[in-house]
Amino acid sequence: MEIRSELTLQEKLHILADAAKYDVACTSSGVDRRGREGYLGNSVAAGICHSFAADGRCISLLKILLTNHCIYDCKYCLNRSSNDTVRTAFTSREVCELTIEFYKRNYIEGLFLSSGVWNSPAYTMERICEALYLLRNEYHFNGYIHVKAIPGAPEELLAAAGYLADRMSVNLELPTEKSLRKLAPNKTHKAILRPMRMVSDTIAEHRLAIGKSAQMERSGSTRRLGGGIFSGTGDRIREKTDQSGFVGDVHPLKEQMPAEDLIVRGSQSANVERESFSLPAELRRQNLQRPFAPAGQSTQMIIGATPETDYQLLKTTQYLYQTYDLKRVFYSAYVPLNEDSALPAIGTPPPLLREHRLYQADWLLRFYGFRADELLNEERPDFNELLDPKCDWALRHLELFPVEINTADYGMILRVPGIGPKSALRIIQARRHGKLDFPHLKKMGVVLKRAHYFISCNGRMMYATPIEERYIARQLIGVNEKENWQIRHSKKGGFRQLSLFEDFQMEA
Amino acid sequence: MTVFTCEDTFEAMMTCVYDAWASRLGHDNLRLQLEPVWQQSLFCDYVHVDADFGKAAKVVRTIQRKISYEAYRQVFLAAMSFEPDRLDAIYRFLVLGFAVGGKLTRMLSRPEVVWIFELSRKANTEANYFREFTRFSQVGPIYVAHIEPKCNVTAISAAHFADRMPSEYWMLIDDNRRIAAVHPKDQAYYMTRLTPEELDQLRETEEEEDLYTDLWREFFESIAIEARKNQKCQRTNMPIWYRKHATEFRKGRIG
Repeated sequence: MEIRSELTLQEKLHILADAAKYDVACTSSGVDRRGREGYLGNSVAAGICHSFAADGRCISLLKILLTNHCIYDCKYCLNRSSNDTVRTAFTSREVCELTIEFYKRNYIEGLFLSSGVWNSPAYTMERICEALYLLRNEYHFNGYIHVKAIPGAPEELLAAAGYLADRMSVNLELPTEKSLRKLAPNKTHKAILRPMRMVSDTIAEHRLAIGKSAQMERSGSTRRLGGGIFSGTGDRIREKTDQSGFVGDVHPLKEQMPAEDLIVRGSQSANVERESFSLPAELRRQNLQRPFAPAGQSTQMIIGATPETDYQLLKTTQYLYQTYDLKRVFYSAYVPLNEDSALPAIGTPPPLLREHRLYQADWLLRFYGFRADELLNEERPDFNELLDPKCDWALRHLELFPVEINTADYGMILRVPGIGPKSALRIIQARRHGKLDFPHLKKMGVVLKRAHYFISCNGRMMYATPIEERYIARQLIGVNEKENWQIRHSKKGGFRQLSLFEDFQMEA
Repeated sequence: MTVFTCEDTFEAMMTCVYDAWASRLGHDNLRLQLEPVWQQSLFCDYVHVDADFGKAAKVVRTIQRKISYEAYRQVFLAAMSFEPDRLDAIYRFLVLGFAVGGKLTRMLSRPEVVWIFELSRKANTEANYFREFTRFSQVGPIYVAHIEPKCNVTAISAAHFADRMPSEYWMLIDDNRRIAAVHPKDQAYYMTRLTPEELDQLRETEEEEDLYTDLWREFFESIAIEARKNQKCQRTNMPIWYRKHATEFRKGRIG
């Protein structure tokens, strides 16, 4: 447990990058910022990946822990206090120099700084802020910074971090309090959600102060749709959720929330009393030059370590988007690192396909106007392993298909498997100037191998397809099978005999 | 059939469009082609066009005013692609564009528009890739990067780096086309042609190794999760041909 300062920078980087790699968020997106003379760096809203590691995940930010010292003993974590590993810490200067030099060589887009809890949350957060302050003000770094807020740290420090960074995140870790109590005895949802609420309110307040709407901007497709989880005022969302029985449900997070948090806040609800960070007036004036976490807030959940269903996870995700106006919710397929009776054994393969399905569904929520209840429900709480959620939804709603490309509205075209927000927009624009046919769609980027079962052009489908659930499901599973197999067997490449009855859902 | 030919620069291409249009031969009776012309057709007249800044500027201005800025952006990007017929494609696109005006780029049911849309998308994608996968090495106070793009994206990527590192000396070199973007500290960058000797000299800069190249390789190795190893996904996201000049993959470290 001692700080071993005799380690070289390379050894430290090895230990602290290795310890940070299970944090999944590695995006540099969400904020457009031009470069400035005398400063280093800019930021592009779409985000820039700089490399791809051997696991196929992108490397966009220098993702490191400030230290792997930790007083907590979360069962799933490599750095838990009961593990006997080499502990070390970067100095603020080391963090800054690594960031600056990597950035100039175009290795990275910015810094992702997380940390174990060193002595106390306050002490850790202070060290983090010190490093960020130095990086911004002495090294004149103008690139992207993502910082983890340590729950339990004093508000002043969390506020300062928010003004220095572009994105803040607090890890929800696990979707239910029960699981959290079991696996992370030192953490509670209440302690995690409070800073999340405060960060989200401070972002909203700051956005109002500079004349933007309180809610974060969402993708063009979501704005165009008018439906979906981000739409409308708080009241309208509330009404809808009442109808779908959402508020009445026993929501996994609901019990932890103070009552006023249950009001889903909308763009018009500027007068809602917010619980934001209070800063001394002097500091606040200075800091207004820098926006508070302009790229918003994100969080992550571990999947596969505890028995939650996909439905619970997706509901929680939707709830977080609506209530905390999060920019992203990340999922992390649990990789067993520690021997513990409460956890899957070491060597259990991480549930990569499940993680993939959840991300697909997350995209459907954020870009396609779907709601969690449409994709899953109590009776079907988990995603179909063989089909992606969009195909799965379409198959259960064959009464809506085929969609006529030349007349259907944007929302419906967007729901066709194989058509994304960009190609849907191109279709809408192009069909004003002439009838569209299948070759046109192909050129626009529509994936016809999925889409052709669900669309018609000028009243004609591409092939003589029976609109029949069994038939289309069989065909689509053939299309998906290869991808699914690759995701599931990415590492071992073990072979498995295909079974007609299991794989194609045929009954004997 | 008359064929207007010009060399492979944006200015020359725009001049060529101007001259072809002004010839009043009728759009169906002429073709535009980039030099070098390897094989001439028997029944064609070949007219060489030299770049003329004034004419090129007029064409650019007219596209922006009569069609749209988006159309100009697509024409520029398509001109940077490596499709041999791109000049004629641009001409057909503009012929339609001057007839229909601002809605041109949305008319994706027309083959002329789709053609330019595809070419510009290809060039734009590649420019984005080089924004990501370009690696600078430090040589004294200067940062030097080498790239070998298929499309001519050096100028486009350089604009991004000029914004990203305004107060550094840096240089972005296209090894195949022998052109470079040079950026002096706190000034605008400029494009320049390199002689083969200069290029040979500059090529050595890539061998430059220091503490941070080693640290970067260390980081690159450490950040991958063994249990999730997926080489196919890595190759899809970062195709091998982009890795030629990437620090973390050099010295036989592919994979």
